[in-house]
Amino acid sequence: MSLAAILPPPPAVRPVPGLRPVISFHGVSKTYPNGTQAIRDLDLAIYHGDFCFVVGASGSGKTTLVRLLIREEVATTGRIFIDGQETTRMPRRRLPKLRRKFGIVFQDYKLLPRLTVAQNVAFALRVTRPGQRHLREKVEETLWIVGLEDKLNKFPDELSGGEQQRVAIARALVHRPRIFLADEPTGNLDPDTSWGIVQLLLQINHRGTTVVMATHNREIVDLCRRRVIAIENGRVVRDEAEGAYLREGEATI
Amino acid sequence: MRSLLASVRFAIVAAAQNFTRNLGVSMAGVFTMGLIMLLVGVTLLLTHTVDQVLARQESQADVINVYLKDSVSMRTIADYEERLRQDPRVAGVSFISKDEAVIIAEQEGEGFMQSAISTVGSNPLPASLKLQARSLQGLTQLNRIVKTYPITDTSTGHQTSYNPNVIPTLQAVIFWTEVVGWSLSALLAVISLVIIMNTIRTAVYIRRTEIEIMKLVGAGDWFVRWPFILEGMFGGILAAAFGTVIVGFTYNFVLEQANAHVFLGVTADGPFLTALIVVLVAVGAGLGGVGSFLGVRRFLHV
Repeated sequence: MSLAAILPPPPAVRPVPGLRPVISFHGVSKTYPNGTQAIRDLDLAIYHGDFCFVVGASGSGKTTLVRLLIREEVATTGRIFIDGQETTRMPRRRLPKLRRKFGIVFQDYKLLPRLTVAQNVAFALRVTRPGQRHLREKVEETLWIVGLEDKLNKFPDELSGGEQQRVAIARALVHRPRIFLADEPTGNLDPDTSWGIVQLLLQINHRGTTVVMATHNREIVDLCRRRVIAIENGRVVRDEAEGAYLREGEATI
Repeated sequence: MRSLLASVRFAIVAAAQNFTRNLGVSMAGVFTMGLIMLLVGVTLLLTHTVDQVLARQESQADVINVYLKDSVSMRTIADYEERLRQDPRVAGVSFISKDEAVIIAEQEGEGFMQSAISTVGSNPLPASLKLQARSLQGLTQLNRIVKTYPITDTSTGHQTSYNPNVIPTLQAVIFWTEVVGWSLSALLAVISLVIIMNTIRTAVYIRRTEIEIMKLVGAGDWFVRWPFILEGMFGGILAAAFGTVIVGFTYNFVLEQANAHVFLGVTADGPFLTALIVVLVAVGAGLGGVGSFLGVRRFLHV
């Protein structure tokens, strides 16, 4: 079966003049205290419903970009807007609210080993919305979306890598974020399992959540034909609506 | 309301988990801080007791006993007593007979008086006029006057119990006892703050993934802090309880023993001990809370 058949079609939403982006960077630079310039004068706009890959070699500035998005790092110069709000000068006390707009997953899952699958997912809600009603239903529903409805009471070390990443995705999803941020989510997984994860992210996108995925995985990027933002030395060198991992005609190794 | 209750429950459960998950570290911290609380308690009680002993001396310092000749008649003594009573510098005069002098001496712990009297065959203690002055200045003047009275016993060399040096000396001793006691307590409090900080840092380190996730999903700073602050307060209270229980028993025991041997004129001060326990437990909770706040601060700045 061809991939095009199993994947949902690319969303119709494309940059439209006058439409306000969900994420936008205006002349953003980030220089670390040790003098490393990770991001240089970067402009970027991501619209609601987008699915985009951020690609680039290690040290290109991908991780800094992700950290700037959730304000784990503060831009040295320039302005960043999330959902219409400028975050660069946002006071510390408003950060929790900003971060609740995001669902974030990492290469290393970051699950709590002492909690079960259901408890790990519920943790995110307990922490951000104490006293949430119908907690159990929400958790079960989210675990059903990621296909782990039969593993509720397992502990993370009883699961495979792919399943652990699905738990992490469920945890990032349970509070219904506006933006789903995945930093190398398939970095530790074999190709088949990686596919499963990416299909899940495409599904999430299809339900209307903006997805940004930083990755090294060339195969996945090439197969999906979605928006590709390539970063090199802290600058956007390529931004294509239906891009590939490498530039057309670029040498492959 | 519902969310507040849920937050409180989350904090309490997390604090309890923190405490029990690294029970070894927690108990080591509690034990060390308990020893310090013990030292603080001992220092404060010691200061208080010394204060009490000295204050008792001080209250007696504006009183002099005028020792009387055995040969003087009661009538003459009563005349002089009346004359002193008229003096504006005098607050009160009372007569102490030879027999009463024996009773007082015995009360003050000189238990050998009775046997001494039976050995000597007569009571060696003089009768006296107990003279209380309105001011210390008046006391000095009165002392000079009564020494010239014909009824005053001049045979022994000290006609009265007046001692010009006792007041300033006592005041200095009280002052310095308090200064040393309180500074020592403050120093010990700072040490226990550092201990709590380090205990909580270990707890924070153990839970760093959890904190990281809490921050990533958008938990507020105070939501992350409270469990650790509660844990610190709990540890502080436990340490204070541990310290004060030992201090309390020791205090009662030591004073009992001391009173059996020398007359201090001071018995265990129950209300003070209670107040001390309450204050130490509150201080323990406070130090625990503040120590945790400081210990957690570094990790919160993601």
